[in-house]
Formats: sequence, structure tokens, C-alpha cells
Amino acid sequence: MTRGQRDEIPSGTLDLLILKTLARHGELHGFQIADSIQSTTEDVLQVEEGSLYPALQRMLLKGWLRGEWGKTEGNRRARYYNLTAEGRKQLERETERYSRVSQAIARIVEPA
Amino acid sequence: MREWLRRVRYLWRRDQAAEDLRDEMRLHVELRARQLRERGLAGDDAQSAARRQFGNRGQWEDRSREIWGWTVWERVVQDFRMGVRALRKTPGFTCVAVLTLAVGLGMNTAVYSVVNAVMLRQLPYARPGQLVSLWEEHPPDHDQFSSHGDGLNLAGAQTRTSVAVANLADYSASQTMAGMASFDGTGMNLTGIGLPERVSGLAVSANFFAVLGVEPLRGRDFRAEDDTPNAPAVVLVSYDFWQRRLGGDTEVLERSVMLDGRPSRIVGVLPRGFQSPSELAEGVARELYVPAAYTAEQLHDRDDHGVAVVARLRPGVTMRSAQADLKVIQARLARQFPATNKEMYPVIGALRDDVVKGTGTALWSLLGASGLLVLIACLNVANLLLVRATGRRRELSVRLAMGASRMRLVRLFLAESLLLAAAGCAAGMLVGMALTRALIALAPADIPRIETTTMDWTVFAVAAAIAIITGVLFGMAPAWQASQTRPVEALKTAARSSGGKAQWRWRASLTVAEVGLSLVLLVGAGLLLRSFAVVMGVDLGFRADRVLAMNIRLPQSHYPSAGDRLRFFEALESRVRALAGVEAVAYANRMPMRGSWRSGFQLDGSVDELTADFQTVNAGYFETFGIALLRGRLPTAHDREGQPPVAVVNQAFGRVFLHGQDPLGHEFLYGDNARVRIVGVVADIRRGGKTAAVLPEVYLSAAQTTLYPVRLADFAVRTAGNPLLLADAIRREVLAIDKDQPVVHVRSMAQVVDESVAQRRFQMLLLAVFAAVAVALAVMGIYGVLSYSMAQRTGELGIRIALGARPRGIVGLVMGQAGQLIAAGLVLGLGGALVLTRFLESLLFQLRSTDWVTYAGAAAVLAVAAGAAALVPAMRSARVDPMAALREE
Repeated sequence: MTRGQRDEIPSGTLDLLILKTLARHGELHGFQIADSIQSTTEDVLQVEEGSLYPALQRMLLKGWLRGEWGKTEGNRRARYYNLTAEGRKQLERETERYSRVSQAIARIVEPA
Repeated sequence: MREWLRRVRYLWRRDQAAEDLRDEMRLHVELRARQLRERGLAGDDAQSAARRQFGNRGQWEDRSREIWGWTVWERVVQDFRMGVRALRKTPGFTCVAVLTLAVGLGMNTAVYSVVNAVMLRQLPYARPGQLVSLWEEHPPDHDQFSSHGDGLNLAGAQTRTSVAVANLADYSASQTMAGMASFDGTGMNLTGIGLPERVSGLAVSANFFAVLGVEPLRGRDFRAEDDTPNAPAVVLVSYDFWQRRLGGDTEVLERSVMLDGRPSRIVGVLPRGFQSPSELAEGVARELYVPAAYTAEQLHDRDDHGVAVVARLRPGVTMRSAQADLKVIQARLARQFPATNKEMYPVIGALRDDVVKGTGTALWSLLGASGLLVLIACLNVANLLLVRATGRRRELSVRLAMGASRMRLVRLFLAESLLLAAAGCAAGMLVGMALTRALIALAPADIPRIETTTMDWTVFAVAAAIAIITGVLFGMAPAWQASQTRPVEALKTAARSSGGKAQWRWRASLTVAEVGLSLVLLVGAGLLLRSFAVVMGVDLGFRADRVLAMNIRLPQSHYPSAGDRLRFFEALESRVRALAGVEAVAYANRMPMRGSWRSGFQLDGSVDELTADFQTVNAGYFETFGIALLRGRLPTAHDREGQPPVAVVNQAFGRVFLHGQDPLGHEFLYGDNARVRIVGVVADIRRGGKTAAVLPEVYLSAAQTTLYPVRLADFAVRTAGNPLLLADAIRREVLAIDKDQPVVHVRSMAQVVDESVAQRRFQMLLLAVFAAVAVALAVMGIYGVLSYSMAQRTGELGIRIALGARPRGIVGLVMGQAGQLIAAGLVLGLGGALVLTRFLESLLFQLRSTDWVTYAGAAAVLAVAAGAAALVPAMRSARVDPMAALREE
């Protein structure tokens, strides 16, 4: 794949990406999460960045994330998200489900 | 669970949360733009690239807020706000709709509350469903009376009578009965506590309270040994008596009271608020309860029908099986005592039905009428909503074209309807509470239990539910209909059409139904009104004006013989005659309209026993009541004991018993074979009041005391001025003769007559108010429908006028349309009235429920009112300026 070609995030995986990102980096604010996902996937996976926010709100409500207000390096007010215990459990469940599904798909797409 | 808590937190601080969200997003875009600039993009490009990457910020914000789950709520609040705004823009419509609902609901609730208190609510006794009242019935004695009846044909009906104590023992032996108690009203002169006073009480069998399932609050119930003629006198007093007359004395059980000059020991106090069946039925407070203590003579006389009976069925026994068992007992008694019991049948009925007898039909009719009113109110609101919706088709089309979803439109209308219904219900509640209070205040005193009425919330809820459903159905129907149409077409046609054929038909049928129902109420009110006029026009045959009547019940203990009583009244007569302003003085066993006494006699040596109303009167009686002497003479002071017995009879006596011959000079055998000579004939009177029949009357001379078995007790004077002003003076004369003698029931006869028609007046007034409201609603309905339909046709009318139509023609066009609606409504209403007013029949006096004059009158009134309502929009249409109308297109 050439750089610059962007693919839609498979539906349902946005939660997994956010959870995983936070698990790896600890506390992050909205832009950092989006930026991290982008740079990790080398800009292959592309979403309208705004779609992050409904997902974050939903996960806050579910109690997977905790949001705490703090200051950025530029001294701006920002909400920092981190995982709760419940969030970690959810990450395990999502990861397991993801690998199960992707293995299944792999078996069809790349026959041995 | 925790998730819900978090949601609720969002609800409280959702403005802050939204602000936070916007901050986060703004920061995100700024940081991205800075990053892009650092990677070398120009400032503006970086900015717009960052925005592009983020997407539509508003949309993402909305999506985020939806997650909180309060958007539905917010939308509902918004819908209602818009509803309030829309309703406030059309204050006329809103007021009329709310008022209509308020009046309909309020009236219905108030009337139902009264009906419930009087008729439906359980009696205040233990397991009231088991309680029955028992009476005896026999075939009517003399069917010749019915030919002089007041139009109510009772021929063939059994005559109801009170029960002979002697039969009671046999009836109560029935296996179906758990207990059977007798009671009879009694009055006692109470002395020793303040002024002497006559107190009404009940003479009851010892098991009376046990049968009702009531225990005394203090002291004890009657015992069997109290209930014998020679037992020491005991009395149970009501809670009120204890509190009011004895000051709530805690030593009450140690006290005695003087009743008819005899000391009676108080053995118990009844619970607060206890009312015996006779109080419930007659509304007369009973303060004292004494054992009936029937004499051996009474207990064997099967011909002496004198007591009321209440009985309790054994658990599981039905009325039908109890009645069947009584029939078996009756058959046995008929064989054993053919003279007295052959045609005397015990009959039972639910105690509750018995308590409300008389007022039942009237109240059910009122309830029916108020139900019709609710229906009319709902129809009217439905009509208003449809009319209003028609006027808003263009608004709806615009909203649709602007992208409002169909669901959204329906929701908007739903919110408006619900608001209307809620306001109507709230106002209806207030109207209902006020009307309930007014009804109790206005109702005649003799409607049982009416004072116990409280606002009935259940029925209010039901009526409110009906109103809300109506509002919602008819409020949403147009929205639904409008949302089915294509906006562009609707926009094009909205201004011109009046809502399509279908809607017109709907509204027309609603209006027709409204007119029809109103006519039913109007006919009902008209019938009662005419009947009342007939009643008021009835000549009593005696003059009730300027007569003061009162009751002076002389106790047996002080006045043991009829001669003693006569002497008292003669003394009183001479004293009162000396008072200024007294024109004539009467005393008798009973004055007119205060009951009578029927007795048998044998005319001219015949062995056939006849029955007539008897009175025993002094000479001044006829002058006092203005009853004219037609032939012969009146009894005089010389017709005393020892002189040949004389009587005066009325004209009906001759008509009924002597085939129209002059009764003068005839003789009859009465009492102990006394030969009574008829010495005079007086004019007929309606003893029982305006609606009573004219019956044969026999007047005996009060001075011939051995002739009659009743007691002299009523006293009356004809006065020169206001009769009530003499009350105190007469009372003083009574006390001057006997300082312990109470005077009760002091009333002007005019008052008594007025009270006797109070129920009729009340019924008539209520129904008249209902009818007036119904007609007003119907008129509003017609006005509304025509106004709107004409407003929608302004363009068409403009063209007609421009083409030369004359104003007269336009008016004719509109009135023709109105005429169709009204005519259809009238036909429907006349049919409905014919069917429904049959239930009013028993309330009418000398008037059939099919009285065509009333029908024609009601139809005419409604037609004129509706026509006048239609004329307003018709005239307005005729004045349409064609230029202005066409420019609007």
C-alpha cells in the first residue's frame, strides 16, 4: 500500500483502538488519542476525527474511562482520559473478540 | 445502575457538559492545525485541513450529546414549549376549548359525586350487602281512588305497608335470616335539660344494633330484658346528644334523662356519625333510641301494621332464596290467620335501595344528562380541533417542506392536544369542586345522605381520560392526514380548500351529533319545566298563605286522656285568639301536608267496610285553611261528648261512595259502632300537597273525644300579617299553660308547600342548566364550523360576488348549508329524546314524556339559536370584498 491511501476503520473497532491506545500510553487527551492512533497505524486507518468524541462519551458513561481535567503543555484546559478497571476488562474482551474474528477472516481470505 | 446515575448527572449539568465538549473539540482542531503548520502547511490551509479532518463539529457534538440519552426528553420539552406558544397565539380557541372541557368534566363529576354519595356508596354498617329491609304488601283496598289519581296509574300495583309486629316473629324464624329487627320513629318530650324540647328518636327491638352490626361507643347495647313493657326505662343516646346536650359528660352512664316525664337511664352512647336507616332515608336526626317494648296486645294483633323492619341474611343466602322462604312462611300464616294474613305478603329488598327510594330516578336521570353533556363537550372540542387544523394546513405544509419529519408534526399536535386536555382537566377539577359544593347547598334537605358528598376522584379520572383521548385522537388526526399529503400539492391547494370533502363530512357529522344531543337535553329540561309549571298551577283547595302551623305533642304521662288533651288545646285556643293579629285558630290531629290517618267505616247500615282519610278538627280549622263550607254546617263547640256524633265530609266523599249524591244527612258506623251523622259538606283539598290526589275526607269534631283513636297534636293560626312573627307569642302562651311543654315544627304553611316542591324545582333547575350549557356548546359548534368553512371559501365567495352574486344569495347559500346541519341534528335529537325521556316519565306530573308541545318548543328554541349562530358567518360572507378576496389568492 502506498502512503496517503486511507482506509475506513472497520465498524466496532474504534472502541478497541481507543482502549488499546490508552492502555499503552496511560493518560491522554482527545487530540493525543486521535494522533496516536493515526501515527501508530501510519495514517492508514483514517476516520473523521470528530467521531472520536461520541465514542469517548459513550465509554465514559459505560464507566470504562475516567475523564479528568488538566492542563496541556501549552497551558490549555483539556480532558485527560484513562482506563478504569472496568475498561481494562473490556479491553480484554474486545481484544479476544477481535482476534477470534480476524483469525476467522484470515482463514477464509488466505487459505493455507 | 451506575450508568444510570451518571446519565442523571448529565441531565443536571448538561449545559456545562456541552460546554466541556465544545472546549475539547476546539482544542483538538487547534492542536491539529498547529501540528500541520509545523509540518509546513500555510496558516489558513492548516486551519481548514484540520477542520476537514475533524468533520462537522456541530454534528459530532449533537451525536455526543445523544449518547447521554436526554435528547428525547429535550425534544418533548421543546414540543410542549411550541405547543404553549401555538395555543397562546389563538387565545379565543384555547379559552373556548378549555372552558368547554371544564364545564363538561366539572358538571359530570359533581353530579356523579352526589349520585355516588346518595345511591352507590355502601351503607355505613357491617357487611351492608347482607342487609335487607322487609315490608308487607297487599292488594289495593279501593281501586275507585285511582280514577281520581294524578295521572300515575297504580291500578294493579300492590300497596306497600309497614309490618305487623305479630307477624315479625314468624318471618324472623326463617332459616335464611341471621337476624331481624324492627324500628319505628318516635318523639319524646325531653325536660330537665334547658328548655323543654321535643326530641325525635327511634323505638327499636333489642337486637336492632346487633343486626346492623353496630356496637355502642360507651356502655352497652339493649338486652332482651330491656325490651319488655314493664322493664325500667333505658335509653341509648347518639354521640351528638351526648356531646351537645350532656356536654360530653364522662359520667354519662350514671345519668338519667326525663323523657315524657319519666326518668330513663342512659345505658350507652352510640358511635360518632352513626345513622339509622330511617335517618339515612329521611334525613331527620334521631337522638334517642329506646326499646320498643311491644305490649302483649301488639304482639298478637296481626292487623296492626306499624313498624319498619331491617334484617340480615345469613352468609351465602341470596335475596331470591330468602324471598322464597318467606313465601312459604306466608302460605302457612295465610292458612292459620286467613282474616289478616291471606293477602298480606312479606317482601324484602336491598336496604340500600330502600334508603334511596324516591330520589333514585331523579338522580339517575341527572347522571345520564351530565353524561350527555360530557359527550357534547368532547364533540365540541373535537370539532374545534378539526376546524383549527384546517386553518393550519398551510403552516403544516411549510413545516413539511422545510424538512420537518412527519413524526415531528404528529408530535407537535399531540403536545398541543395534551396541553389543552390538561388545562381543561385542571379547570374541570376546580369547576367540579365548586359545583359539588353548590349542589349540596342547593339541594333540598330531604335527599338522603347528600350532605356526605365528597368530590369523587375516580369519576373525575374517568371523565378526564375520555377528554384526553378525545383531544389526542382529534388533535392528531389532522396532523396525520396532513403528513400523508405531498407538501407541494398541499401548499398549492391549502389556501383554497376547506380541508377536503372528508374533513368537511367529519365536522358536519360532529356538529349534527352535537345539535342532536343538545336537543335531547333540551327536551328533557322542557318536560321537567312544563311539569313543574303544572305542579305550581295546581290548586291545593286550601289557603296556605298567612298560616302558621306547629306541633304540640302532649305526653301521655301528663295528659293521659283525650279529654285532658282537648282541655289543653281549648285553653290554648282561647289564649291565642286573644293575641293581636290572629284571625282564626285551628287544632287537629294533623294539619294538611303533615300526614293523615286512614280508617274504615260502614256507610248507611251497609256491611261493606269502606276506607277514607280521617281528621279530627275544631270548628276554626276550616276558617284557618280557607276551606269553604258548601252545604249544611260546620262542627261547632256544641258538638261535644254526650251530643250525637257529627262529621263533615268533602265533595269527593259523595263522588266516590255515593255515586255523586249529596252526602248531607247520610250516616255511617264508625269505631265502637258509633252512628255518625254527616252534617256538612266542604270543598275538596289536596291534603298530601300539590301532587297528591283528592281523596274522600271525613272530618270529626275534636270535642267528641271518645270517637277517635288519634291524639290532638297540631296547632295552627291564620294571621293578619307575617305568620312567623307570631311564633314566639304562641310559644309563650303554651309555656304559660304548661312550662314543660315543647313546641316543634313551627312552620308557615307556605314554607311547607314550598318544601314539598323543592325536589322538583331542584331537578328542573339542574336539567335546565345542563340544557342551557348544551345549547350554548351546540351554537358554538355551528358558529365555529361555518365561520371556518366560510373563511376557507373566501376566494370562491369573492369570485361569486365579482360575477354578480347578490349578498342575499350569499347569505342564502351559507344558511342553506347551516339549515342542513341543523335539520339533521334536530331529526336525530327528536328520535333520541323520544327514546331517552321515557326514563323521566316517573318524574313528570300530569305530563307524558311524549308531550309534543315540549318537543316542538325545544326544537324551535334550538333551531332559532343555531340559526342565529349561523347568521353571523353568513352576513360576514356576504360582505366579502371581491377585490381583496381575489388578491389573497
